[in-house]
Amino acid sequence: MDASLKELAKLEKLASSSGSSKGKSPSIDDSIDSLLRSLREAKDSIQSGAATPDSFSSLSKKVESSKKDIDERQKEVYNSLARFGKALDKRFTAPLPSYQPMFTSPEAVVALERTVAAHFLRTGQFETAETFIEESGVDIYPELHTHFLDLHQIITALKAGNIAPALEWTGRNRAFLEARASPLEFYLHRSQYIRLLLATHPPNVPTALAYARANFAPFYIRYDAEVNRLMNCIIYLPIARLQASPYADLASPTLHLDLEPMFAKEYCANLGMGRQVPLRVVGDIGGGGALARIEKGRKVMRERKSEWSQSDELPIEIPLPVENRYHSVFACPVSKEQSTEQNPPMMMNCGHVITKDSLQKLSKPGGRVKCPYCPEESNLSTALRVYF
Amino acid sequence: MTTAPNIEGIMLFEQPFARVPYENYRKVFRASQKNIEKELGALQTAAADLARKAQSGAVSQEDATKAVDGMLKRAENLKRKLGELQKNAGTPTLGVMRERLELLASVESMQSASSPEFDRWADTRLDRWLTDWALRSGKERTARKLAQARGIERLVDLELFSEIRRVEEALKRHSCTEALAWCSENKTALRKAKNPLEFELRLQEFIELARDRKLMDAIVYQKKHLVQWQETHSAQIQHASGLLAYAPGTTCSPYKRLYDLGRWETLVRSFRLAIYNLSTLPTEPLLHLAMYAGLASLKLPACYDHETKNVDCPVCDPDLGLLATEVPFSHHFNSTIVCRLTGKIMNENNSPLAFPKNGHVYSKEALEEIAAINDGMVTCPRTKERCHYTELRKVFIS
Repeated sequence: MDASLKELAKLEKLASSSGSSKGKSPSIDDSIDSLLRSLREAKDSIQSGAATPDSFSSLSKKVESSKKDIDERQKEVYNSLARFGKALDKRFTAPLPSYQPMFTSPEAVVALERTVAAHFLRTGQFETAETFIEESGVDIYPELHTHFLDLHQIITALKAGNIAPALEWTGRNRAFLEARASPLEFYLHRSQYIRLLLATHPPNVPTALAYARANFAPFYIRYDAEVNRLMNCIIYLPIARLQASPYADLASPTLHLDLEPMFAKEYCANLGMGRQVPLRVVGDIGGGGALARIEKGRKVMRERKSEWSQSDELPIEIPLPVENRYHSVFACPVSKEQSTEQNPPMMMNCGHVITKDSLQKLSKPGGRVKCPYCPEESNLSTALRVYF
Repeated sequence: MTTAPNIEGIMLFEQPFARVPYENYRKVFRASQKNIEKELGALQTAAADLARKAQSGAVSQEDATKAVDGMLKRAENLKRKLGELQKNAGTPTLGVMRERLELLASVESMQSASSPEFDRWADTRLDRWLTDWALRSGKERTARKLAQARGIERLVDLELFSEIRRVEEALKRHSCTEALAWCSENKTALRKAKNPLEFELRLQEFIELARDRKLMDAIVYQKKHLVQWQETHSAQIQHASGLLAYAPGTTCSPYKRLYDLGRWETLVRSFRLAIYNLSTLPTEPLLHLAMYAGLASLKLPACYDHETKNVDCPVCDPDLGLLATEVPFSHHFNSTIVCRLTGKIMNENNSPLAFPKNGHVYSKEALEEIAAINDGMVTCPRTKERCHYTELRKVFIS
């Protein structure tokens, strides 16, 4: 983008009326002003009777020269604009692909509108969501709105250092959180304890300890080590010393800030929703290289004049970040085919896994199979179907 | 692990973002050029005229004053017009160009796609896409609200779409005037792209004259506006001439087709394609293109099997899953084995272990944890198979 920005800076200088020194020719403003001066002088000399035919022809020349100056300047701007356009051409060499209209069926339209409405709600854009729901008439599951408003209020309170609404929620959903082994509730109390401990100067230890006594007991079984650390850190107070101690992590603001995403994740999980914002995930993958790769794959296929062997499957693999791999995929190392119900992954005695078809192809009479990856030989009948 | 954002993949989407304000600035420049040509041309003629008359001694003091006053007025007028143009259109457009290029430059210098800066950048990008999608699907209030709430008014093309709506509404009222004005503003670009929109509009106006049986007017109109397209559209012009003979009620199908009011709908679509094309905007919303590629990268048969759904997976969501039926499945040459208990990917450091009888596979990490609190015994959550940790079989995925 540097080249384009450089051209833009030149264009900006040319376009600003004050920067007369920046161009080769005077600025248009200056040219017109100078012309106006000459015209006023001409008028004065006419009125005083001092005008001669020569002064009129010099006025005409002045108009000519002003026009020339202005044309020059316009040409400079025009050229600068063209150079900027060229810089853009250079930066953006590939046009966006044109696809057949998609998501046009009535069901798809509704599905996309519901997705967008849920996105606005989930990201806390309640006013936009309301406008959108009104304008599109999309029918969302009405509790969704209430849930997200509730979430938003809890998060806003957390941001302001108020854990009470969050605790009220964790209290109601304790069984769910325990089943997920989520430390959320304990971390909320931990945050409050640390806040009490560090809120005042000098530190108000008795208040914090009273809080600990009242709230930490049920968590001691699971988080004994952490509770002990929370107690021990008191000897390193005040905060300046704590920051340089083995307990420095307890003085870090992330201890409080991390509660917001953690809370949102548990809240969404409780509603049966994923930990990431789905539209962001899809958009980031699509706009982060996937479309470019798909287009490149298409181009190669076109050049080879071959069609995709399976039109319902991409011809290339799009590498995904670890956090975006949600399902197990088994690609047979022998045939390179993805396993299916009909052609499932099979584990030989040695522990190596290949698909059933490959296994059968490798077998010799009597069902003996030599593993292609190690020296071990086993029998077809002892291969175990595995489930990921 | 930190990976820098994929700039090539990101920039594929951003051409219209950079180009729309550039085209707008070119329009501003053309307007200034028009003003300059008009006013200075007149000034030139007036000055030359005055000088010539003065040479021949045929100019009175009064006439000379009047002529110079007229010239002064023109020059002042030009100065005011150019000043206003720069202030109301030029400078703001340059500002938009700068802001957009700087936003694109900022992502080029980011080191990691998992950094908070990139996260914010991607949030803004999704907001821009959603605004573009809302504008294209006629949800202008949503678009405005979103743009305003997120402070991205200068990063989306609200005006472009207002213009589209204005022209389209006129076409829906069966008026070509606005669309023709747009064509004349963009004459060079349309000609370069060999876009026949203007001809189609002119043809429609001719058809309307024929429909009203204003045959003399129609002939005049044809001479004035259609004949100039003779070279490229002679067949259509000849075909249209037949309308002079066939009245609107005709059953003769080639002419019935020309009288069809559905042509107006076609004009709306042609206009939209032309304006998208000139602004390098894709015909599909940017959101659709990103979703197509994103969904196809993620989509697996497992997303549609109740047994293997994963709440974290976008395609497993019922609505996104329905949209994903329009895109191909992802393709994999390499295996990825995800633990059903922890959601983590298994590898050499966290190897997969299989239950000996039922062959269900989980990660070492998850099974170790279960074994640790159950005296070394592990139970498969899906099949309830129970065995000792040491009986589990190590699985090798190559």
